[in-house]
Amino acid sequence: MEELRVENVFTAYDRADVLQDVSLTVERGTITCLLGSNGSGKTTLIRSILGLTPPRRGRILFGGRDLTGLQTHRIVAEGIACIPEGRKVFPRLTVVENLRLGAYLEEDARVIQQHLDRVFATFPRLAERRQQLAGTMSGGEQAMVSIGRGMMSAPKLLMVDEPSLGLSPLFVMENFAVIRRINQQGVTVFLVEQNVHQTLAIAHRGYVLSQGRVVAQGTASELLADEQVRAAYFGSGPPTGRPDGPRRNP
Amino acid sequence: MSASVIAQYVMNGAMLGMMYALVAVGFTLFFGVLDIIQFSHGDVVAAGAFAGLAAWTLLTAAGVAAPAVLLLAVVLSAIAVTALLGAVVARFIVLPVKGAPQLNVLLVTLMAGTVLRECLRLFYPGGSQPKLFPALLPTSGWDIGGFHLRFDNVILLVSGALLIAGTHLIITRSRLGLAIRAVAQDEETARTMGIDFRRVVLVTFALGSALAAFAGVIDGLYYNEVFFGMGLLLGVIGFAAAILGGLGNLYGAIVGGFLFAALQTIGAVALPFASAYKDVFAFGVVILLMAIRPTGLIGERASERV
Ligand SMILES: Nc1ncnc2c1ncn2[C@@H]1O[C@H](COP(=O)(O)OP(=O)(O)OP(=O)(O)O)[C@@H](O)[C@H]1O
Ligand SMILES: [Mg+2]
Repeated sequence: MEELRVENVFTAYDRADVLQDVSLTVERGTITCLLGSNGSGKTTLIRSILGLTPPRRGRILFGGRDLTGLQTHRIVAEGIACIPEGRKVFPRLTVVENLRLGAYLEEDARVIQQHLDRVFATFPRLAERRQQLAGTMSGGEQAMVSIGRGMMSAPKLLMVDEPSLGLSPLFVMENFAVIRRINQQGVTVFLVEQNVHQTLAIAHRGYVLSQGRVVAQGTASELLADEQVRAAYFGSGPPTGRPDGPRRNP
Repeated sequence: MSASVIAQYVMNGAMLGMMYALVAVGFTLFFGVLDIIQFSHGDVVAAGAFAGLAAWTLLTAAGVAAPAVLLLAVVLSAIAVTALLGAVVARFIVLPVKGAPQLNVLLVTLMAGTVLRECLRLFYPGGSQPKLFPALLPTSGWDIGGFHLRFDNVILLVSGALLIAGTHLIITRSRLGLAIRAVAQDEETARTMGIDFRRVVLVTFALGSALAAFAGVIDGLYYNEVFFGMGLLLGVIGFAAAILGGLGNLYGAIVGGFLFAALQTIGAVALPFASAYKDVFAFGVVILLMAIRPTGLIGERASERV
């Protein structure tokens, strides 16, 4: 059953056209990844889904409901959370305040406390530093705040934009393990990454974006086996078609 | 100068300081949440004072004489009108030019203030003349060694302090305050938390303007008159106080407000020239202080910025 469906989306910033007819689906309960080199439009797709940069054309469906054109806070209220590129913690708020903002739409104080406890169980370091201003934390700690904040609303769909950016290999491994665990607890994950191998190791399915177009898709193992994917990934332009291997969009 | 005279000046300065602080807190809230200067803020305050006066005029014409009822009506109508005006300014003047350079926002709000001011002058009955503002509070008081501590001053000071403390609690403790601070720090990320950005902006403007309504009422009660142009100087002083304290900083606005009042009071009584020079002196010192501390007296300390 599909959780998220992106249909023929075109998105542009003031002058630059970025997404060109992007379609993809994220099945409920899976980790679906989106690979692509710098500037291929991955973050733009996340911004389109969140309504931060609404698509010029196309539709976005979530759990069958059409989200196109809704304001960001309404889209989020449907059960989507995002761990944004570059963490985006609120620097002058404490760790706890950052986490509480993740559950901003939850009114029940008991539920908020439960989610808070769960985040602290996942990241004991945050529990020790709950009153520290997030902006004064190390990059790795800020990543924990950002991931924890994304968990706080107990979303149906969690979108993660390059969680490994700027982290040491050990930290990256831990974060991937956390993302996998979140998924095992029933959260659908849409994971944007450049780190092909680690991403495909935990993802069920994936898409490859190049210059604003989906150029390849398939199961994780299909993508892993595909040389062309690497070519696309490393930015040498759209790969030429090949009859076998993963399905590729025309 | 005797101790009782000094006490009197301190009291006067405190009243002015409270008034300026209340106005400055508004400037700082608006700047915090949207990074803009709402230059019609002073005129919104004036409109609030006139709304209070109108409520009094209507009620007394209708035969209401109970001072408590009149006072409540004056304060509530001032607050209601300024809160509404603040939200209207945000919705129809500030938000539409969001994304434009700050200077443009300053210009449109400056013009909106002029429109508001002229409307008061043209449409309020007899609005081109200073209007007598009724004394709504008991003017009796205690005599402490020659110093007459008036009840009305005490009541105004205490309620002003409570309002500021309440605002501080809202900003630092409530869910709304958390949303305001989140929007102030990172609007986009705040929206992805499920915060309705426009609503937060409107509520912040209503809140900051409602606070200033109280300043308008204090102004009326203190000088016993209101004037269509009263918002101009009050606005500039409130803005100066907010900048002096460090724009965006709640405590800074309060400190700035009281500091400015202290400078005015010193300029009026302690210096060898006529008290008419008090504003020249106060603004002169502010300019000097700004040269020494360009970002305001209280630097942008993380936890306190809105
Ligand atoms: N706010 C913006 N205004 C104009 N152009 C933008 C804006 N944001 C992104 N772009 C452009 O859109 C294109 C896609 O950017 P996007 O951030 O979506 O790429 P990405 O795949 O996330 O890259 P990265 O892996 O480096 O994060 C780039 O060419 C970028 O310059
Ligand atoms: Mg990106």
